Amino acid sequence: MQSLVATRSSALKHTVRGFASSAARGQATPLQKPVLNKEFKIYRWNPDEPSKKPTLQSYTIDLNQCGPMILDALIKIKNEIDPTLTFRRSCREGICGSCAMNINGQNTLACLCRIDRNASKDTKIYPLPHMYIVKDLVPDLTQFYKQYKSIEPYLQNDNPPADREFLQSQEDRKKLDGMYECILCACCSTSCPSYWWNQDEYLGPATLMAAYRWMADSRDTYKTHRMEKMQNELSLYRCHTIFNCARTCPKGLNPAAAIAKMKLELASE
Amino acid sequence: MLAYRALGLGPALRQAALNPRNVARNPALRNLVARRFVQTESLPPSAAQAILNKQRLLRPSSPHFTIYQPQLTWLGSIANRVTGAGFSVLLYGYALAYLVAPETFSSANVVELIASLPEAVKYAGKVILAAPFAFHSLNGLRHLGWDMGRFLTLKGAYSSGYAVLGATAVSTIALVLL
Amino acid sequence: MSSALVARAAFNRNVAAAIARRSLRPLALQARSAADTAYVPGGPIYRGTVNDPTPFPPPSKTHGSYHWAFERILSAGLVPLTVASFVTSGTNYPILDGLLGVSLVMHSHIGFDAILVDYLHPRKFPVLGRALTWVLRATTVGVLVGVYQFNTNDVGLTELIAKAWHA
Repeated sequence: MQSLVATRSSALKHTVRGFASSAARGQATPLQKPVLNKEFKIYRWNPDEPSKKPTLQSYTIDLNQCGPMILDALIKIKNEIDPTLTFRRSCREGICGSCAMNINGQNTLACLCRIDRNASKDTKIYPLPHMYIVKDLVPDLTQFYKQYKSIEPYLQNDNPPADREFLQSQEDRKKLDGMYECILCACCSTSCPSYWWNQDEYLGPATLMAAYRWMADSRDTYKTHRMEKMQNELSLYRCHTIFNCARTCPKGLNPAAAIAKMKLELASE
Repeated sequence: MLAYRALGLGPALRQAALNPRNVARNPALRNLVARRFVQTESLPPSAAQAILNKQRLLRPSSPHFTIYQPQLTWLGSIANRVTGAGFSVLLYGYALAYLVAPETFSSANVVELIASLPEAVKYAGKVILAAPFAFHSLNGLRHLGWDMGRFLTLKGAYSSGYAVLGATAVSTIALVLL
Repeated sequence: MSSALVARAAFNRNVAAAIARRSLRPLALQARSAADTAYVPGGPIYRGTVNDPTPFPPPSKTHGSYHWAFERILSAGLVPLTVASFVTSGTNYPILDGLLGVSLVMHSHIGFDAILVDYLHPRKFPVLGRALTWVLRATTVGVLVGVYQFNTNDVGLTELIAKAWHA
């Protein structure tokens, strides 16, 4: 104990001395990092000039003066080069789902996607595929949200327990793991070729997994009602188990598996 | 300006400047106000939808399969469809041809025609038929596995995909040498 | 300030009453708003407002789970048939040819139909999609007859493939 106190006080003395000496020498010059320029090609379309075709605009920034993620690069470009660049972002930590976009051919969240530091290769950034574009990287998600609403994404139970909360066994609760975490960023749905061709009727992986999340909930008593809605050729059965959804999900969830289980349950109903 | 804003005086000053009585007294201010006027139009709330729809009609659709990264997942899926459709076209075409002209398309004639082809063409034809047949059949098994709830993880999807590709190569060789 | 609030509340009440009245009317009688008439499936204009959920087509197990299950059972049935046709080549096997003739044609028909539904659905292509759906149905009937003729009057599917492969 005594020796510990001794070392700590000596360390403290060291720091103090360190501070004093640096102050005496004047301020240390910050480490000069080499310039690492990288090109970003970003999809642009301006609703104020609707007749102009969408184009890829090139921006070059110094990666050593930028944060590590694609979102950092976008914000740097917007701040320093082109304030008209438009994109959605909010939490910058992968929980809000706002900054979903297609980066180097894959749908992901810009805030969770590291910049490839290989400066010889450019990074291409497109909005989510096969969506109507409001501006630049901002797609119109109206249909996506309307579809999510259509599956009644809330607990429905006509006989709730009178005097206490809903109880659920640990096994039943486990069935919801891997589904409830979905943040509705629309990366999976817009990676799905079936959703590209039929998104006016086909619900898409995100909404279908949300639908199954409520079918699988032991506290919900509307399972048959929920399943009946899927009994048509378009809403659910346009899924051909392509697995683009599971491949692209930035949260590591697996909508393909949820949909496959739903199909199996509908068939064995 | 910044200081006014910080103190919350901006609105008050603007109000004072734009006060009708002040404006009337000061011709310079009158000009300023005239230039600031924006043509406005009173619309009922229901008109919002029409304005939005007019904008929506101008919106482009973002690019999709041309920019999406080629991945085993969707390339395997489209290959499954193309190979299946190819064989179905062959089956439909031959069945219809036989229905229309059973003499011309009799099995004897078909076999004779194939026998008359040079050896290289026959081998090439066998590869062209065997590879898609093997892929579609084996990938069909993979799909049946998924539909029964097997290898539904991303890892399972990929390992089964590579297994199908490997097995396709082996069975193509086996079928050609049959 | 308070009078504005009162006015707004009265307005909201009126709107709510109008919506309630309209929701009592059967769906078919509801006047279609301008937005609905501009709706084109897959287009940038959507049915209803942003707050309306998308509607579902009328439920039908024939188009839903029965169709799906039938498709899987048929495909699974093709597995032993394919294996059997490899093992028993060389001799004439009318039962195998008959089963293959029907199941392969149905499997193909479902595959073609899925392609039409995916890419050329009648809701998007009212003329072409509908026409092709009927062309497919007619063709499938013709193909079934053709395959039957071939299996009964000629050597049959398995024998043809075996002979052509070794020709």
